[in-house]
Amino acid sequence: MRGATLTALAGGVLLLAACGGSPSGSNSSTGGAGVPTPPAAQLTGAGATFPQPFFDAARFAYNKKFPQVTVNYGGGGSGAGISQLTKKIVDFGASDVPLKASEAAAMGGSDKIIQVASTLGTESLAYNLDSVADGQLKLTPDTIAGIFLGKITKWNDPALAAVNSGVSLPNQDIRVVHRSDGSGTTYIFTDYLSSVSADWKAKTGGPGKSISWPVGDGAQGNAGVATRITQTPGAIGYVELAYVLQTKMKQAALKNRDGNFVIPSAAGATSAAKAFVGSSPSQFSIVNASGKDSAPISGYSWIILYVDQANKTKGTALVDFLYWLTTAEGQGYAVNLHYAALPSSMASYDLLVLKQVTSGGTALLSVS
Amino acid sequence: MSMGTAERVAPPPLVGTSRQRRLISGDRIFLAIAYGAAALILLIAGVFSIALFIPALPAITKFGFGFFISRTWDPVRSQFGALPAIYGTLVTSAIALVIAFPIGLGAALFLAEDARLRFLRGPLSFAIELLAGIPSVVIGLWAFFTLTPLMRDNVDPFLNHTLGFLPFFQGSASGYGFLTAGVVLAIMVLPIMVALSRDVIQAVPRSLREASLALGATNAETIWSVILPYARVGITGAVLLSLGRALGETIAVTMVIGNRPQITTSLFASGYTLPSVIANEFTEAVGDVYLGSLFYLGLVLVLITIAVNVIARLLVWRFSGSEPTGA
Repeated sequence: MRGATLTALAGGVLLLAACGGSPSGSNSSTGGAGVPTPPAAQLTGAGATFPQPFFDAARFAYNKKFPQVTVNYGGGGSGAGISQLTKKIVDFGASDVPLKASEAAAMGGSDKIIQVASTLGTESLAYNLDSVADGQLKLTPDTIAGIFLGKITKWNDPALAAVNSGVSLPNQDIRVVHRSDGSGTTYIFTDYLSSVSADWKAKTGGPGKSISWPVGDGAQGNAGVATRITQTPGAIGYVELAYVLQTKMKQAALKNRDGNFVIPSAAGATSAAKAFVGSSPSQFSIVNASGKDSAPISGYSWIILYVDQANKTKGTALVDFLYWLTTAEGQGYAVNLHYAALPSSMASYDLLVLKQVTSGGTALLSVS
Repeated sequence: MSMGTAERVAPPPLVGTSRQRRLISGDRIFLAIAYGAAALILLIAGVFSIALFIPALPAITKFGFGFFISRTWDPVRSQFGALPAIYGTLVTSAIALVIAFPIGLGAALFLAEDARLRFLRGPLSFAIELLAGIPSVVIGLWAFFTLTPLMRDNVDPFLNHTLGFLPFFQGSASGYGFLTAGVVLAIMVLPIMVALSRDVIQAVPRSLREASLALGATNAETIWSVILPYARVGITGAVLLSLGRALGETIAVTMVIGNRPQITTSLFASGYTLPSVIANEFTEAVGDVYLGSLFYLGLVLVLITIAVNVIARLLVWRFSGSEPTGA
């Protein structure tokens, strides 16, 4: 608990409520718009950095709405989140990729945990070419795989010229930039490459948060990759949409499964997510989705928690908060930050699994 | 029992028995504290080694000594090897020393020996202190934004043009890579080089200088044949400490080396260092073998640092012909 308090102070969160000792009745009362009023509690999470800006905005708003609940989120990476949840240091973990069987087993088995989708993101391919304007460069799955496999090494390669008629592509080396740190962003991008290129899959072994890259240099974090591209003439790299929009980088139009060239957008990510009806932690990949507006390099981010909550008050506050996160109100904070809103099918899935969370055999979430 | 006590009390008291007893117990307490402190350091070193070794075990059992010669770093297939990172660590540190040694020694000689331009000593000393005080992440930021374009557009093409016949200066330059990382490290170790060398040069006895000058040697001759040989041990110590700093430096190197596990002769190419791999990958390293490999890298780094220290100490020993006095 001391650790959690320190985290709260470090996060600059006002400790309006003391540690969750006094439950304010059960969770039957509602705080308007069908959101249950949580009991006083202090919740701590850790994990992926991809959804961190969203969590930070959302937990602050939730604390304003329900001052009795303080939510702390430590980030630290998916690996840290998973290991801290396994050791029960935190109340929930976040990961850009659902748990592997071995990781779930370490937590007592896949039936002892649940995973809910918290948000949805999409990635852009940003480039630095003086002669090519923003959105002018068109990339197909084949050319993207070719560039990242190191087969296409010049910007005026015939394969690129063929899909970019009318664009003056320079006779310049392509400088590939990727993430040097392990990240969910890399996982989603390599998941995409693996799904569109058999060559890529054979050569690199499939998707991963950190992989052995056939070509290119690594830079730390989305910000590092973005800066590196901005600085290096001829550079190209995958960056989360939010960073591209904030730094006003040039991004390519990507050919999606339906054959349309789309500029990645939050709406495109939602469209991609809708194309996969039965998405769940075991069927989580939504890259290369069908749909005419679908952004091809998209993915969910996940929150992991235990089904059986030892502390009833805390558990109730946790599921109340997570449910609120998936409602239109909670998702609004994601949209403001250029994440995409969860499609209603995924929000329903989240509600369904959150209802399974119990403490001493009693279900904790009471939402109709 | 009583016999023993009688024997120990037997020698005649010096001053007062109570004072003596107090002294003896004071000595004992002091001794206990000193022994305790020494033991604690051994304990910390032991716990540290074990704490590094145990998490590394899954990787050690899987890869063994092959880890040192494998060039693969593939988290997807769970195949790990340290050679590119070892190579990168040694190469960047070597570049740093090649650059920092002549500059550092020159500056130290100027500060300690040259009687002219005395007014520059103050500002120069201050600049060195300042350089030593800049956090590495700030130097990294500066290097990332300012040094890399400079290297890419000016320094690397110049080297390629003039020394391009050497394999080290061939290939296309992106501004990121071994050479840039080496330059950053040189900047970071320079204050250590200068400050320590200056101190040991100043410690050369005045009588030696005066004797040399009295014999008709010029200033330069005195420096070359009297001062530098005398200060050799200390200067080696300065190089040693600089190397220690260069080997372990993480963040600034990570920002400019390119983070690509490869071994190339071209210094313009991207590389990787042991600390950079660890810093980059530990947050998302899931699984015993992956995490274990990162700890194994840490173990390798510790071993390299120890090896460098031992070799340098042996060198100092041979040169000076006596027990090294330490840096």
